[in-house]
Amino acid sequence: MTQATDMRPSVPMDADIIIVGCGPAGMTAAIELAEANRSVIVLDMQPTPGGQIFRNLEDNISQQSSDRQALLAALGPAYRAGADLIRRFRASSRIDYRPLTTVWEVRPDGTVGWLRGMDAGYLRATTVILAHGAMERPVPFPGWTLPGVMTAGSVQTLLKAGNLKPTGNVVLAGTGPLLLLLATQLHKLGVKPTLIARTDRFSDGLRAMRYLRRNGLLPVVKGLGWLAQLKRSGVRMTSGVSDLAAEGERKVEAVSFTVKGRRVRQPCDLLVVHDGIVPAIDIPNGAGLALQWDQTNASWRPRTTSDGLASSALPPDLQPERCVVRITGDARRIGGAEATIAHGRLTAQAILAELRKGDGISSKSQQAVDRTLSVRPFLDAAFPPGLSAKLPDDNTIVCRCEELTAGALREKIRAGFGNMDALRGETRCGMGPCQGRNCMITAARLIEEDRGACGSTPPVFRGRPPIRPLPLGALAGLTGLDPSATELLTLEDKPEHDVEATSDVPAE
Amino acid sequence: MFSPIAPLTHSITVYLDDQPISASKGESVAACLLRAGVPFNRLTPVSGAPRLPYCMIGQCFDCLVEIDGIGNQQACLTIVRDRMRVRRQNGAAIALEHSAQ
Ligand code: FES
Repeated sequence: MTQATDMRPSVPMDADIIIVGCGPAGMTAAIELAEANRSVIVLDMQPTPGGQIFRNLEDNISQQSSDRQALLAALGPAYRAGADLIRRFRASSRIDYRPLTTVWEVRPDGTVGWLRGMDAGYLRATTVILAHGAMERPVPFPGWTLPGVMTAGSVQTLLKAGNLKPTGNVVLAGTGPLLLLLATQLHKLGVKPTLIARTDRFSDGLRAMRYLRRNGLLPVVKGLGWLAQLKRSGVRMTSGVSDLAAEGERKVEAVSFTVKGRRVRQPCDLLVVHDGIVPAIDIPNGAGLALQWDQTNASWRPRTTSDGLASSALPPDLQPERCVVRITGDARRIGGAEATIAHGRLTAQAILAELRKGDGISSKSQQAVDRTLSVRPFLDAAFPPGLSAKLPDDNTIVCRCEELTAGALREKIRAGFGNMDALRGETRCGMGPCQGRNCMITAARLIEEDRGACGSTPPVFRGRPPIRPLPLGALAGLTGLDPSATELLTLEDKPEHDVEATSDVPAE
Repeated sequence: MFSPIAPLTHSITVYLDDQPISASKGESVAACLLRAGVPFNRLTPVSGAPRLPYCMIGQCFDCLVEIDGIGNQQACLTIVRDRMRVRRQNGAAIALEHSAQ
């Protein structure tokens, strides 16, 4: 595959810019670039624009029924606020929007592998913007694989796009603004959570106070409003909980945790967990882009310049001439809808400046980025990772796909499989369908635990395409192959006396 | 575990293990299965443990089902189609037996 870089000029470009992800950051960048007469392709997994935050907004707004109106009211004004952005996105004729499309490979040179149904291929652009967003921090705890344990984001997705609300005994556990927002939304829909078990403490909130900035006051006031509302409606809330466990045979039946030195058990039908939001690094890691450890968010994030330019961490022989990938929105750094819109615009302006169009990054966009991010230090301090604070005990499943426990991994690490790829090869941790999206951070921390290392950047599994399943039928019909780098081999091409060259196979 | 917020409109029919269930146009297969109240959408290949959707945004792969004959499809990323045939996955696929038929 190394020859692709020098052949590059001969391959036709499909667009000026390919954008991965159609949330607020991707949409904003697309609109900005299209307005400057650039051709833009937007690839997104969802059926409609909006990302997770404005998921299914168009449909919810268009329905006149009183139930939908009640849903919109419960989801609140921040959800409805995306309507204008989506409308402007839809209205732009220069944007080639391709929904229900999965990206399974990105290369630093601007090549993107896509899949839609059973069609797949490669697309190329002068610049690629990754705006694929965030995911909830993966948290292994006893029983987290039981049916009836779901993340806060998933329950919110069901409200927005599934026309479903929880019934029965609902317990929310963990920390973060999303957990409290969801509790408020559920309550407005007539679902009163039985209990909210928070890992954060009053002292976290106090300590966070010194990070309060005038520009970041509004979100804090909003959050206090949610808390007051929940309190008024008599929702039970406890804080400082630890050692969460879900109990049950074939589904969750109860949740238990420790608070103030006491073990508490609460029967439930649905356990909703949340431990904050982290950038989704599957695409950057698969692309061989440099990652860094973000201590305050306790997560990896791609290493980028302030205007989103990523850098390749590939070995020298795979290194492209130039890395043309930019990363924006929550995929770059967690900030929430407004911050991602601000950074999406800034990224687009940086690209236009590079193309000698436009006036470069305006001070207004820079200020918008700074303003919208100013609340983050407060939130990071007020809601530190809780459910994931301690590493799981030996009996807890770490890898959901291959059902590997922390104990099994610890044993292999002690036996010498002390780097990520060796551990993966030995145990299959990270090799299941999710490709390490849920276990990578825990596996890395278990290795660090063994080394006694901490404070460094935890190691990652080396990502390899395809980073999402690609049906063989789709692979066989791959379009957009680079003709100059594609050789069609037949059986006749096989040398008479084939000497297997095994000596120069590089070690892992 | 879940109940509809609004009555089903634009209802279509999806077959779950050959049994007809109603689905709402535009929703994901995962939402449809949760509304139907199935206790699991797959049994894991390793221990046979039941699983239901966990993340609903395509990250956890616990929602895998067979759709129109193709296995390991993410139910949370697939939109229902009229007369779609969904099968729950029961443990590891019996690869050879299947292809011999
Ligand atoms: S529910 Fe997690 S991938 Fe579908």
